[in-house]
Amino acid sequence: MRPIIILTIVGLLSASLLAVVDDLTREPIAEAKKQMERKAIAQIFPFTIGELKTVETEKTTFFEASDEAGELKGIAVKTHTNLGYSGLIEILLGVAPESHKILDYKVTYHIETPGLGDKIDKDKYKSQYRGRTLEDTNWNVRKDGGEIDELTAATISSRAVNDAVVRGLEFIKEQYPKQTEE
Amino acid sequence: MNEALNILTRGFVRENPVTKMLLGLCPVLAVTSSAYNGLGMGIATTFVLLGSNVVISLAAKAIPNTVRIPSFILVIATFVTIVDLLIKAYSPELNQALGIFIPLIVVNCMILGRAEAFASRNGLWYSIIDAIGMGLGFTFALLLLSAFREVLGAGTIFNIPLVGEGASTILVFALPPGAFAGLGLIIAGLNALEKKKGGN
Amino acid sequence: MGEMLLVIVSAIFVNNVVFARFLGICPYLGVSRKLDTAIGMGFAVTFVMTVATAIGYFLQYAVLIPFKIEFMQTVMFILVIASLVQLVEIILKKVSKPLYSSLGIFLPLITTNCAILGVALISIQEEYDLVTSVVFSFFSAMGFILAIVMFAGIREKLEAADVPKPFENVPIGFISAAILSLAFMGFAGLVK
Repeated sequence: MRPIIILTIVGLLSASLLAVVDDLTREPIAEAKKQMERKAIAQIFPFTIGELKTVETEKTTFFEASDEAGELKGIAVKTHTNLGYSGLIEILLGVAPESHKILDYKVTYHIETPGLGDKIDKDKYKSQYRGRTLEDTNWNVRKDGGEIDELTAATISSRAVNDAVVRGLEFIKEQYPKQTEE
Repeated sequence: MNEALNILTRGFVRENPVTKMLLGLCPVLAVTSSAYNGLGMGIATTFVLLGSNVVISLAAKAIPNTVRIPSFILVIATFVTIVDLLIKAYSPELNQALGIFIPLIVVNCMILGRAEAFASRNGLWYSIIDAIGMGLGFTFALLLLSAFREVLGAGTIFNIPLVGEGASTILVFALPPGAFAGLGLIIAGLNALEKKKGGN
Repeated sequence: MGEMLLVIVSAIFVNNVVFARFLGICPYLGVSRKLDTAIGMGFAVTFVMTVATAIGYFLQYAVLIPFKIEFMQTVMFILVIASLVQLVEIILKKVSKPLYSSLGIFLPLITTNCAILGVALISIQEEYDLVTSVVFSFFSAMGFILAIVMFAGIREKLEAADVPKPFENVPIGFISAAILSLAFMGFAGLVK
């Protein structure tokens, strides 16, 4: 009987200690998450962010970023793909409001091959996405007859980025329809 | 005092948990693609080891033999969760890099091994020294392997470039095979060194 | 069905627990000296891994999330695994004495086989449903068996080989593992 009581006591001590730590870290963790998001968003927009509004929808999360003068200058959207070489890739995609032209993107999660697939987050590769829109581009890699230069030895990762970017652009199109507001 | 020094230093080379005792190899291989990650994992593991050694050396007498292992695991899991929460809160980048290997510190055989073989049989003071020695030895091994892999695989150290942009690196060292090969080479190198010393 | 096939191929080959995810390295090195021990260990791991993942699934979605105590995840999962290992030990002792004595010290070590906790956590992380989780964990275990059986075969050959002194035993084992892992990288991208 004694062993069971002792094990129970150990378990209770552990649980209560963790409950306290969880309580203490809950806010810092949420804050850290927010900071990471803000940092990522700051990297994809070419202006200094003044105000940042978060819009959560059922499918994804949007961020409306205004510059310091308060003018809406960019919309960021969380998008993802499962077509990566090693599965999931998450991307934060930034577009200009109204024109929906891509400003930049940032890979926020990936497990692609280091040195090959992870170049999808390098400026050298990303720069070709800037200025493109959903409609004016053939969103395939050159190998498949499209307009995006795939990374050498990482065609799959490149295709995956396209998939995520297109998904993101569609999210934006749905959430912020062009010229349909009366 | 000599005894303390002995306990402190043996974890470094003579009984290094990684290169000699081959304990806790999974994180050693998995997170060592960059020196920063290796160091982070080493420190996190050392913290857990220290916490569990302290608690177990204090509580060992009160814990009956039949539930010894489950109790030890509970203690270790508690410290792992604390580290996990702290890293999530104060170093989200490290959290992203180490991912699932933070909760997996709980199954690092080195920690249960030290609890079982050392902390449960020794006093608080020696257990603390043992944890520090072993933890540093573990961190040292991680740092060695991760620096080796980062330099060869990515041409950088702690993200500081050593070669010019576009220079080709031995990519395979950044990939899984490089982890195995790197550790094999390091252990072989240490063996050779030891032999030389022993021969003289 | 196609989805399932993808999970299976990925679990065995592409994301092989040992060669790609670096899980379960200790038993991989420890029990792979002899082929039959390796297989015995493999089946013990399969049982614990599959059941632990299934129980983990219920724990996560029926206990941890509803009660908002997700921070207890690591603690609860490892306790489940430890109890399962005890169960396997008792069963094995009854069913096969020789297997029990040869697996000896490694049985309790399954508890600290990070492949088991790792696979259970990955199933949660990937948000697999119950069936996928079970399939994923079972075939991950198959991938583990494949890895240790292959390695046991290589090691039996290595015994007879003339290995440079500093490389004897463990280092040459790692070098062989590196070559195997390189071979397994050939499977990457297979699921596309």
